[in-house]
Amino acid sequence: MNMADGRIELPQGTLDLLILKTIALAPQHGWAISERVQQMSSDALQVKQGSLYPALHRLERRGWIKARWRVTENNRRAKYYELTRRGREQLEAQTDSWRRLTAAVGQILDTA
Amino acid sequence: MISDLLFRLRAIFRRRSVEEELDNELRFHFEHEIEKLMRSGLTREEASRRARLALGGLEQVKEECRDARGVSWLETAIQDLRHGMRGLRRNPGLAILATITLSLGMAASTVVFSIFQAALLRPLPFREAERLVELWETRQERGINQASFTEANFWDVRAQNHSFEEVAALHSYEANMTGAGPAEKVSGSIVTAGFFRTLGVSPVLGRDFLYEEDRGGLDNRVVILGNRFWRERFGGDPEVIGKTLRLDDQVYTVVGVLPAGEPWINEKIYPLFGYRADADRGSWEYAVIGRLAAGVSADSARADLQRIAGAVAQSYPKDAKGLGFNLGSSSEWGASSDTRRALWVLLGAVTFLLLIGCMNVANLLLARGTARQREIAVRIVLGASRARLARFVMMEALLLSGFGVALGLGLAYAALRVMQSLEIPGIPRLADASLNLWVVGFATITALLTGLLSGLAPALQGWVSGVAAALRDSDRQKGSRGQGRLRAALVTCEVALSFLLLVGAGLLIRSFAQLMRVNHGFQTENRLVFSMNMPGSYWKNGVGKQFMDRFFERLSAVPGVIAVGAVSHRPVEGGNPGMGIDSSSQPLGSERRPPWAGWRIVSPGYFRAIGLPLLQGRVFDENDKPVWAERGQPDPVRRVVISNRLAKLIFPNEDPIGKHVILWKGQSGGDAEVIGVVGDSRERGLTSDPTLTVYLPYGRNALTTEFVAHIRGNANDLAPVVRSIVSDLDPNLPVADVRSFQEVVSRSVAPQRFNAILLGVFSGLALLLATTGIYGVLSYSMSRRTSEIGLRMALGASASNILRMTVSQGMRPALLGIGLGAAGAWWLSRYLTTLLFDIKPFDILTYAMVAALLLATALAACCLPGRRAMRTDPAVALRIE
Repeated sequence: MNMADGRIELPQGTLDLLILKTIALAPQHGWAISERVQQMSSDALQVKQGSLYPALHRLERRGWIKARWRVTENNRRAKYYELTRRGREQLEAQTDSWRRLTAAVGQILDTA
Repeated sequence: MISDLLFRLRAIFRRRSVEEELDNELRFHFEHEIEKLMRSGLTREEASRRARLALGGLEQVKEECRDARGVSWLETAIQDLRHGMRGLRRNPGLAILATITLSLGMAASTVVFSIFQAALLRPLPFREAERLVELWETRQERGINQASFTEANFWDVRAQNHSFEEVAALHSYEANMTGAGPAEKVSGSIVTAGFFRTLGVSPVLGRDFLYEEDRGGLDNRVVILGNRFWRERFGGDPEVIGKTLRLDDQVYTVVGVLPAGEPWINEKIYPLFGYRADADRGSWEYAVIGRLAAGVSADSARADLQRIAGAVAQSYPKDAKGLGFNLGSSSEWGASSDTRRALWVLLGAVTFLLLIGCMNVANLLLARGTARQREIAVRIVLGASRARLARFVMMEALLLSGFGVALGLGLAYAALRVMQSLEIPGIPRLADASLNLWVVGFATITALLTGLLSGLAPALQGWVSGVAAALRDSDRQKGSRGQGRLRAALVTCEVALSFLLLVGAGLLIRSFAQLMRVNHGFQTENRLVFSMNMPGSYWKNGVGKQFMDRFFERLSAVPGVIAVGAVSHRPVEGGNPGMGIDSSSQPLGSERRPPWAGWRIVSPGYFRAIGLPLLQGRVFDENDKPVWAERGQPDPVRRVVISNRLAKLIFPNEDPIGKHVILWKGQSGGDAEVIGVVGDSRERGLTSDPTLTVYLPYGRNALTTEFVAHIRGNANDLAPVVRSIVSDLDPNLPVADVRSFQEVVSRSVAPQRFNAILLGVFSGLALLLATTGIYGVLSYSMSRRTSEIGLRMALGASASNILRMTVSQGMRPALLGIGLGAAGAWWLSRYLTTLLFDIKPFDILTYAMVAALLLATALAACCLPGRRAMRTDPAVALRIE
């Protein structure tokens, strides 16, 4: 945790979930994914490029997402990632287990 | 799974475009980041600086992405390969030296393995060869357990057994083929009808023999041809079936041609041999093979045979007393047990040679690694992983062994072709040896192991050495102490392995020398031997005897001919028929087992011609007649000449001349008078003990086929004279197997010579490699110690002090190696015992000579660097520091 600028570093394993969620609605390129994560978490979370791109390639290899080169609105070519069917299943499963995990952790923290 | 695989494959085969995409993707991100930062008011420079910071190390991200894609091991392997090539190209001397070193070892091991594979691993080319067996008669109570079959016993076994799918008998056969061109001697086997079905070989042309054809009473003159015989004598004529051959003046019809196969089948002809009701039960002449019926074990077949033996022994108590049968596997048809042993020894030897090669290459790479220690340390500091660096060194070693095996296979191919074209005798199935899949597979695996083995130490070297230490200049100069020890240990191993090889070679060479020096009994110089096969017509009315006498007369009259003689079986190469023989005064009830002696029919001139000395009594003359009665004649007065050992054995402390012996004791029997005693000889070959021999006189019904002529000058010069005399006397009688007797003897020891030469060459190579190893290690460590030596000299050490120091440093691992090698050789040489003739495996002289040779070579290898160190100029040396 980096307290100095109020940003939280991602716990292990959550980056994959966030990437899947971010591209669930529409295909996105890498830079947009990192921007969106930061935006949607109100700047609390920051994705380091150093871990984003290896994660994207890892997910692609697993077949959860697939990549396609497309032209952006600014007429430049970018690599867009989208969910595959297996990726969508993974997203649901992981969202579910994340919810249960946080609920359980929250419960313990609240009662203590 | 499949998509994963495709993904990886794409990454491998479209590596460039994948890399490009990664590049584009990251650049796209970078540029967006800059734009974003610029929008918030930063200058372009500041924005790009921050963006770069945010991204972290670009190369690192890329590397992690590659890792994430999961193909990096292959990519890095390819990269390592490229680096390895580059590294080798930077140091071509080392690459060439190492490649040559390894290729010599690889070539040697490939040649030996290809012979090994052809002779030992490749199954016999017969259907279900594991069911093939060879059968023998036994007379256990007389200590005989591998005798040939009598004809009658074979027919009984064939008729009465319940264990074999097929049994067949064969007997060697020689005949004069006439009619087409000059008369020629051909050889083959007469076989019973089931012979080829037993082997599981079917003719490629025509048909096999029919069972009806070998029934009694029929006189079927049919013959099947070996493939090579057919190709050479009939030009591969497909219309050969039904044509006739004149063999010993009888007409045979060709019914089939065999497929190409084992050499001993290829070059022969096979006349059919049929059942005879009056078959002989006393003479052991036939080899018998059988194919076990499916599901029948060798043991139950043995029991079955024992049952038959019992019945036969009961019906024919005189001939078949104590009869038994034995069977053995066909696995030794390809190579005898001595050959197998020799091939194992050679395979072991090439393994040692390869190991020495590995150590030499390891030593070279270690030396190079030491020189590059600083560079490696810098790489580590800059972030190269140690594992990667180790892999890189390993890749170099693998590349070297790859080059080594490529060159080695080329050399092996050439060597095999040369050996095959020279038809070097003494190598089993040499013609069949080739670089087939087995051999290439073996070479590939060997190369891989060689690479791993020679790269292991150098690869670990970078791993363990301290970075900081390596970066300090002074330590680089000296090199680490551990490395020095490692390299010395490698030298020790090289010397020890060389010792093993040298001892093996030394023992075989000494044994061969012993073999060459052994007293043959007969003389080999200036003697020509040749064969003439007497056709059937020669056995009637004394025609053959007349021919022989006229031939002797004509040949003896040739100027330069000293003596001429004839014998029934060629010494060393020929067969060895035997008989039980004993003194006739031996008490009847005595339980003594009569000695078994070889018999030979000889002409009176034979002893002089072959150089056997007459020790007592006289040799035969024209009045001595064959021991067999002619048809319708009374028993002849039998006279024999016996060899010295036999005389000593049956007439101990007596004068044998005039004494009587019983020939074929226990069989047909017959009394004979001993008229002479001649020297012993090694009839059965040089490695066998001198034989007990009975010599019988030749005559009208005892013709001989082998002839010997002793002349002044070169024996081979007589060959054309012999041919012209014979063709003068009978143009239809071929002269065959014409050789000088020296050549006969030399051919008989070809396997021993081959083993000795090969092991000699291998150990010579080993010695060379070990020498360069010692030299390399020492000269390198001396060059590292230049400044130390300079200091010592500045402090007053004399040149001879320095030399002594250098030499003692170099000799230490060599001496240790010699000690270890001697111990190893002492332990291993027992496996050579059966290959050695008249030499103990622990032959002190050989060991001492090998130790002296290694010491001298090691000393020489030490002296060069020592002298260089001795001449060190202290002023120059100290300035290096």
